[in-house]
Amino acid sequence: MVGMELSGTPQKILSARQMGLVACTRCTKAWPMGTQICGRCGHKMVSRDYGSLQRVWAFWVVGLMCYIPANIYPMLRTKTLFQNDESTIVGGAVELAHHGAFGVAAIILVASVVIPLAKFWAIAFLAISVKTRRMASNSARHFMYEVVEYIGRWSMIDIFVVAILSSLVQLKTLATINPGPASMFFALSVIFTMLSAQAFDSRMIWDDRSGNGDSTHND
Amino acid sequence: MTDTPPDVPIKSARKIFLSGASIVWIIPFLALLIALGVAWQSYSARGPQIFVEFENGAGIKAGETELRFRDVTVGRVEAVGFSQGLGKVVASIRVDKDVAPYIDNSAAFWIVQPEVSAQGITGLSTVLSGVYIEGSWNDEIGPFANRFSGAENAPLIRTGQKGLQIAFRTVGNGQLTDNAPILYRGIEVGRLGKAEIAPRGNFAIVEALIYEEHRNLVNSSTRFWDSSGFSVSIGPGGAEIDFESIATLIGGGVTFDTFVSGGSRIQDGTVFEIYPTKEQARNAVFNSSAVDPIELSVIFDENISGLAVGAVVELSGLNIGQVEALSGIVDYNQFGDSRVRLNATLSIQPARLGLPGEVTAERALEFLQDRVANGLRARLANASLLTGGLKVEMVVVEGAPFARLEAASDGLPVMPTTKNEASDATASVEGVFTRINNLPIEELLNSAIGLMNSAQAFIGSDELQQTPKDVRTLINEVTGLVSSDSVQNIPVSLNATLSRVETLVATLEEQQLAKRLMDALDGVSSAADGFSTSIEGVPELITEVQAVAAKASALELQELVDELTALTRSAEAVIDTPEAVALPGSLKNALDELNYTLQELREGGAVENVNQTLASARNAADNIAVSAQDLPEIIDRLSSLFDQASRTIEGYDEGDKITRSAQETMRDIQKAADALASLAKTIERNPNSLLLGR
Repeated sequence: MVGMELSGTPQKILSARQMGLVACTRCTKAWPMGTQICGRCGHKMVSRDYGSLQRVWAFWVVGLMCYIPANIYPMLRTKTLFQNDESTIVGGAVELAHHGAFGVAAIILVASVVIPLAKFWAIAFLAISVKTRRMASNSARHFMYEVVEYIGRWSMIDIFVVAILSSLVQLKTLATINPGPASMFFALSVIFTMLSAQAFDSRMIWDDRSGNGDSTHND
Repeated sequence: MTDTPPDVPIKSARKIFLSGASIVWIIPFLALLIALGVAWQSYSARGPQIFVEFENGAGIKAGETELRFRDVTVGRVEAVGFSQGLGKVVASIRVDKDVAPYIDNSAAFWIVQPEVSAQGITGLSTVLSGVYIEGSWNDEIGPFANRFSGAENAPLIRTGQKGLQIAFRTVGNGQLTDNAPILYRGIEVGRLGKAEIAPRGNFAIVEALIYEEHRNLVNSSTRFWDSSGFSVSIGPGGAEIDFESIATLIGGGVTFDTFVSGGSRIQDGTVFEIYPTKEQARNAVFNSSAVDPIELSVIFDENISGLAVGAVVELSGLNIGQVEALSGIVDYNQFGDSRVRLNATLSIQPARLGLPGEVTAERALEFLQDRVANGLRARLANASLLTGGLKVEMVVVEGAPFARLEAASDGLPVMPTTKNEASDATASVEGVFTRINNLPIEELLNSAIGLMNSAQAFIGSDELQQTPKDVRTLINEVTGLVSSDSVQNIPVSLNATLSRVETLVATLEEQQLAKRLMDALDGVSSAADGFSTSIEGVPELITEVQAVAAKASALELQELVDELTALTRSAEAVIDTPEAVALPGSLKNALDELNYTLQELREGGAVENVNQTLASARNAADNIAVSAQDLPEIIDRLSSLFDQASRTIEGYDEGDKITRSAQETMRDIQKAADALASLAKTIERNPNSLLLGR
């Protein structure tokens, strides 16, 4: 629909909602506004899922709650013959940096600290921006949403590393690696942020926020 | 296809109650609840914190080092810091809540580190895992304490380790190290603790533990000895090297045996002695020294060399202990001068005193105190005349000034002393020799030889062969004289006179009056006069008999000889007669008759009377001699009487020719007899003097 117009022109773009249509989010067939069940795939249809914001925030809060112990408790328990190491995410990264492995330390920091924090920030920003006046362009916000959704699963890379190490390095007394409590919290945190991001109805990005106070209430 | 979409029900969107919370919010609330619940649970399950001070950290790491009880982790070190002033390392330990109540004042903490010793390797696991803190406390809940002072070493008795706790006293130079084993037939049945020097520094105290299952091996007659190192003995069986085990060779050890039966069960805390060798331990069984020796101090006034540490202490000849230490003592305040005195510390073994009932040091001390009050004193005596070594002897001194066994300022009771015997023992031996040396043996021998010669000459002389006939007549006359009535009457009057004299002299003596003395003497004179006139017929003979008898009664050998001389002189006169030459055998008869006559006299009681009389007279004369100045008069009178007697006898003497040889013989006899008499006198007065020199 949008593609019909000449790209590059700052022409006003009409949303499906403005045209009195509602699209099925599963099979993408457009139906007239007010249709509740998709006639093709049977999916439940709403034009704008304003309840999604509540879900976003709820999962966001749980994710953040899980993120705190994920950073406090040790991620890995490494038992070697001579010592018993327990390192947290940040502690491990700092230790690696001390040993000169800046690259690995940077990867760990980015994957385990920067990305989750950025995700929290991005989701919160998106959720807030829906309700307030323009903070960034719609397309930029949409891009941000896509990045968040795409990148969310990669945060699980930490958990994969822990899981792989734990299952591989079980050499009895010589060396043993066990997941620490933080790994579970970190996984939960990732899961909940992903849920939070998914709960966000990206269509709300395109709504004109100037008059959204009325439209949301009336439609 | 139609343009119109199919007719589908179209509903207006459900109005969402924005202010109403979505069901999703349950999730964060649940998470929050769970988090809070977990937080609260972990907080409430958290045990208290205790602080243990150590001398050094020894590898304690915060968050890693565990506190273990019976090798189970019951806590973890949370922080390691310093006490104020950096004096100690303080480990703050979070202990498990269920264990915390038991950690009271009985708790002990020490750091377990790997240790390689002769007994083996301990704490090996800590090489890999790092040190841990071991705690030990009893199973009773006590008041909570949170500050402890960590021990440097593991305590001898760990928690849950039961056994007999004993202690050892040792003075030897054994090589007992901490945790040395106690072996019995080569099996470890116990362990020594840390050795400590007793406060007085004279022995070492080692506490020890006999494991519970071996408790019955030890009783009161068990003796321990040091099995440290090894002993090499070369005997008839060849050379022998003996050591209990490699462990004792390096780290020392103690082994024991019960040589005799009949020992009683012992309590915790019994003190045993460690003997240097098995032999000494075996010997020690028989003078049970389970009781602590009493220590006494003795201060001798004289410093006599020869007393050494280890010298025996004897009571009534019984060895009851030994000299423990010797030192000098100078105390102006106590003795009044600055002389160095000999201060000996005695160690008395109470068991050797033979006290009835249970032997304790207190009872032995009481016994000694009682004995000292009754005159028991210490003195130095010769242990051996050959070596000059001294011993300390305890003797009862009769009539000793009262003294008590009292404790001096330094704590040891001080035993009073008496005069030492050691110093004059050698002197008396010397004295004996000196006196023996000074005896006039040569003189005596010379005199004896002279006597023999003279006697031989006398017996061999022809004159003796010719005993005069007159001897018999003389004897007859004497017999008749003696048996006459007047003689019989002598004793009565004499006795009366002399008793008067005696009472008189006694009165004189009592009153000490010169006048009375003179009167008495006058009385004596007149009495003597009367005495001399009353026996006009034979006064001379009576006097002579009296003198002879007086001398005889004095039992002096010399006087006896004098009498013999006088008698012989008379005999000489007799011998000179021609009748005597003709009748040698008649002498015996005559003498027999004389003897018979005298016997008759004695039997008739006359002699006894005379004896009594004369005894009285002698007493009287003694008294007179003491108090009277007029004795010479009496003596003169007696002399004249004697002269008269001599003349009377001379009347019988026809020739008055005494052969020269007889005279010499008599003189020799007299001299010899004198010598004998003086010797006899000396011996009689003090028969011991020859030996004792006193």
